[in-house]
Amino acid sequence: MPEPPASDPSATRAAARPAASTGAAIHLEHLTKVYPGNPAPAVDDVSMEIKAGETVVFVGPSGCGKSTTLKMINRLIEPTSGRIRIGDEDVTAIDPVGLRRKVGYAIQASGLFPHMSVAENIALVPKMTGWSKARTRERVAEMLDLVGLDPGEFHDRYPRQLSGGQQQRVGVARALAADPPVLLMDEPFGAVDPITRDHLQDELIRLQHELHKTIVFVTHDFDEAIKLGDRIAVLRERSHIAQFDTPEAILTNPADDFVSGFVGAGAALKRLNLTRVRDVAVVDFPTAQVDDPLQSIFDLLRDGATNEVLLLDRHRRPYKWLRRSDLSRAKQSLARAGTLVTDTVTRDATLRDALEAVLTDSAGRVAVTGRRGEFLGVVDMETLMNNVHELLEADRLEALEHQHELQTLSAHRTQLAQEGLDGVGGADGGPGDRA
Amino acid sequence: MSFWEYVGSRHAQLLTDTLQHASAVFQCMVIATVLGVALGVATYRSEWAGALATMTTATILTIPSLAMIGLLIPIVGLGVAPTVVALTLYGLLPVVRNAIVGLRGVDPALVDAAKGIGMSRTARLFRVELPLAWPPILTGIRVATQMLMGIAAIAAFASGPGLGNEIFRGIASLGSANALNQVLSGTLGIVVLALLFDAAYVLIGRLTISRGIRA
Amino acid sequence: MTPGTSPGRGGRPERADGPDGATLPDDAADAERELAAGTAPSGSAAAGGRRISWQKWTFMPAFLTAALLATWLWFRGAQLDSIAHQAVDHGKVWLALRQHIQLTAVSTFFVLVIAIPLGIALTRPRLRRATPFAMVVANLGQAVPALGLLVLLVIWLGIGARSAIVGMVIYAVLPVLANTIAGLRGIDPTLTEAARGIGMSPLGVLGRVELPLAVPLILAGVRTALVLNVGTATLATFGGGGGLGDLISAGIITQRMPVLILGSVLTVALALLVEWLASLVELLLRPRGLEVAT
Repeated sequence: MPEPPASDPSATRAAARPAASTGAAIHLEHLTKVYPGNPAPAVDDVSMEIKAGETVVFVGPSGCGKSTTLKMINRLIEPTSGRIRIGDEDVTAIDPVGLRRKVGYAIQASGLFPHMSVAENIALVPKMTGWSKARTRERVAEMLDLVGLDPGEFHDRYPRQLSGGQQQRVGVARALAADPPVLLMDEPFGAVDPITRDHLQDELIRLQHELHKTIVFVTHDFDEAIKLGDRIAVLRERSHIAQFDTPEAILTNPADDFVSGFVGAGAALKRLNLTRVRDVAVVDFPTAQVDDPLQSIFDLLRDGATNEVLLLDRHRRPYKWLRRSDLSRAKQSLARAGTLVTDTVTRDATLRDALEAVLTDSAGRVAVTGRRGEFLGVVDMETLMNNVHELLEADRLEALEHQHELQTLSAHRTQLAQEGLDGVGGADGGPGDRA
Repeated sequence: MSFWEYVGSRHAQLLTDTLQHASAVFQCMVIATVLGVALGVATYRSEWAGALATMTTATILTIPSLAMIGLLIPIVGLGVAPTVVALTLYGLLPVVRNAIVGLRGVDPALVDAAKGIGMSRTARLFRVELPLAWPPILTGIRVATQMLMGIAAIAAFASGPGLGNEIFRGIASLGSANALNQVLSGTLGIVVLALLFDAAYVLIGRLTISRGIRA
Repeated sequence: MTPGTSPGRGGRPERADGPDGATLPDDAADAERELAAGTAPSGSAAAGGRRISWQKWTFMPAFLTAALLATWLWFRGAQLDSIAHQAVDHGKVWLALRQHIQLTAVSTFFVLVIAIPLGIALTRPRLRRATPFAMVVANLGQAVPALGLLVLLVIWLGIGARSAIVGMVIYAVLPVLANTIAGLRGIDPTLTEAARGIGMSPLGVLGRVELPLAVPLILAGVRTALVLNVGTATLATFGGGGGLGDLISAGIITQRMPVLILGSVLTVALALLVEWLASLVELLLRPRGLEVAT
């Protein structure tokens, strides 16, 4: 169900939403998990600092302990040793039940309770934390709206009456219902089909733009990690951190063979996943409304300023591409003229999605839409090409600079070593402190 | 005397017997349900304890009811007591077994999710696990009730209450004109009660099983 | 304890997993499927006891021997008056035991001879439409109290073992029939299709694919019948059919506890022994390939 209904009340509600609590920093200090009967630790001495409001993705091969690490943050799995701090609070020893109510948790296949309606599922945590009925009810509607489901339509449905993607949205809504500063997501989109997954990822990005939670996201899909993460932690066995850096840095400058093996081929194409349509210039395009008098549309096209207009429906959503040549056949009605708009991208779509859409479109352009599906502009081949060139160029410069930095540093270090003053730690200058 | 004439002339007695039969079965079933679910909750987490609970209750069920009542009489005497004890014991197995199967059948991912959103152990049990395990438990209760209907009839031999008395009156007067009427009214009464109870359970199912998991 | 008392394959409660049959005829098919599926968890639950360990072989006989020995010793020492003596003298205990076993054996034989072929027939394409109907009847039948059924038959057919056996057969046919139907209908249709596909005749499909696959459920049905019949046979006493019920009822009527306890203990021991033997047989006869797969 990718199309959120364009109901206006929800838009006003979104505007009236009280300021949500934003993220809290998470510090993992020397976390270790040893299971009884197995001498090798499942997670071995993981230390990590996750900044408030950022999305960090744990990515790694299956069985590398990334899920275990995640579950130690809300202590679904108790760490054998080490400490966890969320915000200013050491949560290693507090009551885990109370902790989990403050940490949102979304899992694969949504984990919705089948015997509770959508609303009941979302209301669970607010109820448990003692919100009033009225406030909870309001919150449920707000959350449904937030994840792009019409409250009126979905409030009383049961999980089995929803598609996989819808269930996942409700799962996210439930996790966010009590407005936790931290959201943990354990392969949440692992069980949905690729198209839905793509939509859900876009939604999550949009949500994060609005909410600025601290999100820790586990996946084994590197493309997903690139798409979602502000920073990515590539984990190898026992949750050892192979590289913890921005997606750009990992793509252009993988730390070692393990990481580059994980990044896989086609790094340049994957780079397209890192830039969003909102970051590139969207070209304006002449438009007309379906309700406009036929004559004015005819005039617009006959003026000669343009060959084509985009016809919008009543909610300003792209409806039809209309060429001048179509008009001859149109006569008195537009009902059968023009080509229906089959594909649009949102502002949060990646350039890769946009490229895909542009390549499949016969005229080489795609309409960009806003949150409610309304028309914002158009992206075409030329825009994309220019942007990609710029991006790659910038990346290359940055990488060169980085390399140069490293060289200077190591030269410096060699010099120091030669002078017998080897007091400089090896950590600084390493990947991880790029802007 | 035709069957209907017999029923007409004895309707007061029959009604009392029917009500007593129903109330005995109902009350014992309530006790058995509470005990059975409690046993299930207490044992489903452990493979060993669950198997023990199921096997013990299954063994009880293997014992013919007349022999069970026979063994209970020296302990608790005649009358209502052996009836209640026997009915409760026989009612346990289906409830215990289905409770264990149902509770174990709850998707571990859901339990994990419940933990993850901060539900306490009790909240998980009452808000997630038991509601999800309820349909099989209710099925167990239905099956047990139907079984108890017949066993309660036998318990009348140990001076228990209910429609069994009607049947035993018929046996006592075997060969007399009214024997058939007595046995038939007792038997049919039990059949009707069993069907009524069954219908009640369907209704209870409608009311208590969430629409989200109803088949 | 007894290996066979694992969930889903117990005696009477076998039908616990098939709901709604009686009151919702439309659900009969579902109920069946659930019934068939209901045995699946039992497989895993009993997985630990799949192989018959020495405990399984020895516990029940040891327990029964001890219980019977204790009862016998106690009974020898008990004070028996003339009424009690009358109830147990002249080999009456042995007679009752023999009658009980006979009643059980004969009725079980007839149950199997009737129920299994009927179950097979009802799952053939030509009669398949009658299956839901049979399931409804089977479920409705459960609402009839065994005692009432037996006594009605006595009134109709006269006092004696014959009425008792007829009643027991009628009462036990239904669960076995339900089990057989559920077993045959629970078979993965792709398997029968595959069998037809490689050119087996309908008889070949039945004999070489369907029946072997349904053996576990049919065996469970047989056990159900045996256990049911041991229990119902105690009621034969009320129709002059003999059996251990004679001792129990004599004990209750004459208020002679030793007689009552002797009769009850013997009945319990017989029931447990039969159930134990049946569960052993069930384990031994179950096709090898299905042991883990269930």
